[in-house]
Amino acid sequence: MNPEGLRPDRRAELLLGALVCGVLLFVLALVVFVFREAWPSFAHNGLGWFGSGGNPDQQIEKIFTSGNLLQDPVYDFHAWPIIWGTFLITVVAVILSFVASLFVSVFVVEFAPEWIRRLLEPVIRLLASVPSVIFGLLGVLILVPFIGNHVITDGNRESVAYVVSLSGYSLLAGVLILTLMIAPLMVAVFVDGLRSVPRGWLEGSLGLGINRWRTFWKIGVRTARPALVAGTVLATARAIGEVVMLAMVTGGVAFAPNPADGLLFFVEPTRPLAATILQTAEELTSPPMRQTIFAMAAILLFSAMMLSIAGWAVKQPMKRYGVRS
Amino acid sequence: MSTLEGDLMKAKSTSLVGALVVLAALALAPAAANAATLFGSGSSAMVPYLESLEKGYKKVNPKFKIVYTANNGNAGAKDVQDGKSQFALQTRPPLPSDSGLSYSKLFLDGLCVAVNPGNNVNGLSIQQVKDIYLGTVTQWSGVGSSVGSPISAFGRFSTAGLYTFFQSAVLGGATQATNVTALDKDGEVAVAVKNNKAGIGYVGLANSKPGQSGVKRLKLNGQPCQASAIRTLKYPLSRYGWVVLPAKKPNKTATKFADWVRTSYAAGKIIDKAGAVPAFNAKKPPKKPKKKNKKK
Repeated sequence: MNPEGLRPDRRAELLLGALVCGVLLFVLALVVFVFREAWPSFAHNGLGWFGSGGNPDQQIEKIFTSGNLLQDPVYDFHAWPIIWGTFLITVVAVILSFVASLFVSVFVVEFAPEWIRRLLEPVIRLLASVPSVIFGLLGVLILVPFIGNHVITDGNRESVAYVVSLSGYSLLAGVLILTLMIAPLMVAVFVDGLRSVPRGWLEGSLGLGINRWRTFWKIGVRTARPALVAGTVLATARAIGEVVMLAMVTGGVAFAPNPADGLLFFVEPTRPLAATILQTAEELTSPPMRQTIFAMAAILLFSAMMLSIAGWAVKQPMKRYGVRS
Repeated sequence: MSTLEGDLMKAKSTSLVGALVVLAALALAPAAANAATLFGSGSSAMVPYLESLEKGYKKVNPKFKIVYTANNGNAGAKDVQDGKSQFALQTRPPLPSDSGLSYSKLFLDGLCVAVNPGNNVNGLSIQQVKDIYLGTVTQWSGVGSSVGSPISAFGRFSTAGLYTFFQSAVLGGATQATNVTALDKDGEVAVAVKNNKAGIGYVGLANSKPGQSGVKRLKLNGQPCQASAIRTLKYPLSRYGWVVLPAKKPNKTATKFADWVRTSYAAGKIIDKAGAVPAFNAKKPPKKPKKKNKKK
């Protein structure tokens, strides 16, 4: 233990290198562990795991009791309603939030008077760090009763009463609050990206007599595209992984909202993957249930990985004229 | 906590490694720690009761201390099996997977069915509640209420102890219908029913207190959801809270504490105040409370 020949900076290098390797190994071990635990559930159901069929809540119950009563393990699980719910909530919220965030950040960077900008930026950064459970509480106490009492009519309730109960706990509540939650994150990244567009490029365009709006849209936003992608990926990752708030406001039923119901579709309840894991986590004591829970976790992990890779791939062709972010 | 900090203080003077060793030793061997400290885990619904009971037992044994992890009943039972906990609290009767454990009843708890105070219905039969939660009745007019809109039923996830109890006592083992909105916590069900004029939900005693909770408890099969009917087991949704101990060589402090909770007059009063219903506790104060408690 006497590093005779090593200078202090060399030692630091080795230490940091070891730490990085440790983190990499940890991530690898995590992925391997999750997929290994999840395997029996996938192996038993095959591609049917992702398909529809039956009520996932009933299936979860059967899986759980089979383990607890020491019977033969049951693995039948068809997660389509849960996957569909996750997909819907994430995609709709990300689209809404992207459009809103883009306009907000263009306004903040280019058009806002100095005092508004100085006020807005810290507020947005603060918003981005509000814990999601606070949003969940606001949702349960304000938004959900509002949707239940003022948006949904008795006639609506009547029409689907035998299938689901429209009580305000809904896709809509989840999407709206999630949009509010991820938008500040997007705005923060977008603003940084837009601000790093070289001043000269914009001034050149302005000097040619092109108006501010068009200049900013064609030069600023275009150049900042890698930052837009980065912000979107970051926000999508948060949306996929959001747990507590969605568990509180989306209604907690493994039901696939049906687009054929028209606008009612948005006020139907559902339950995303992460919330399902949260709610079934106390059934970890039953071995087949544990494997099913890990299977859901594996899907989440896989989506997150794919998201990062897709974000990276989309950014590649934009890099040529874009700003780094 | 004080002993832990003391150990840490000492350890600080020696080295970081020393502190880690002490911490690891403490974490790995809870049983070896101070004999008056109990390590428990299990049902989260029992936490409020346990907290007040722990406070009350300090009068009997001033050194007594509980470290309780609310990881829910099933996990708690597993912890006792694995020797990680010295006792667990549970809200369901024993299952075949509970080998090597001994269950004993502590006190009674009730599950209320509650509606919005604006609803004119005062009581339902178990069959009517079952019809509502299985989705066969969806109109309030179907169960004799004048509320014009369809029923908004609220319940819990299949993982909640209250759900399991409701399922076996009301639904006859069937799964609640998809048109029941499943919420995460007992209190959330109460809030949802309070905010929804057509709402109905099953809520524990503590969260459906008349006046402060904003919901109206219903009579079931003509029996009100209150202590008097639960104590006699006439109310159909009465249930026991259980303490789970290892069948072989249970911790002595834990058995003493459980006996005190079960039988003493003082514990009965605490249970009553905390919102549950004492079942086996002495009705009258003992003449010399300290001695009698020690015997038991």
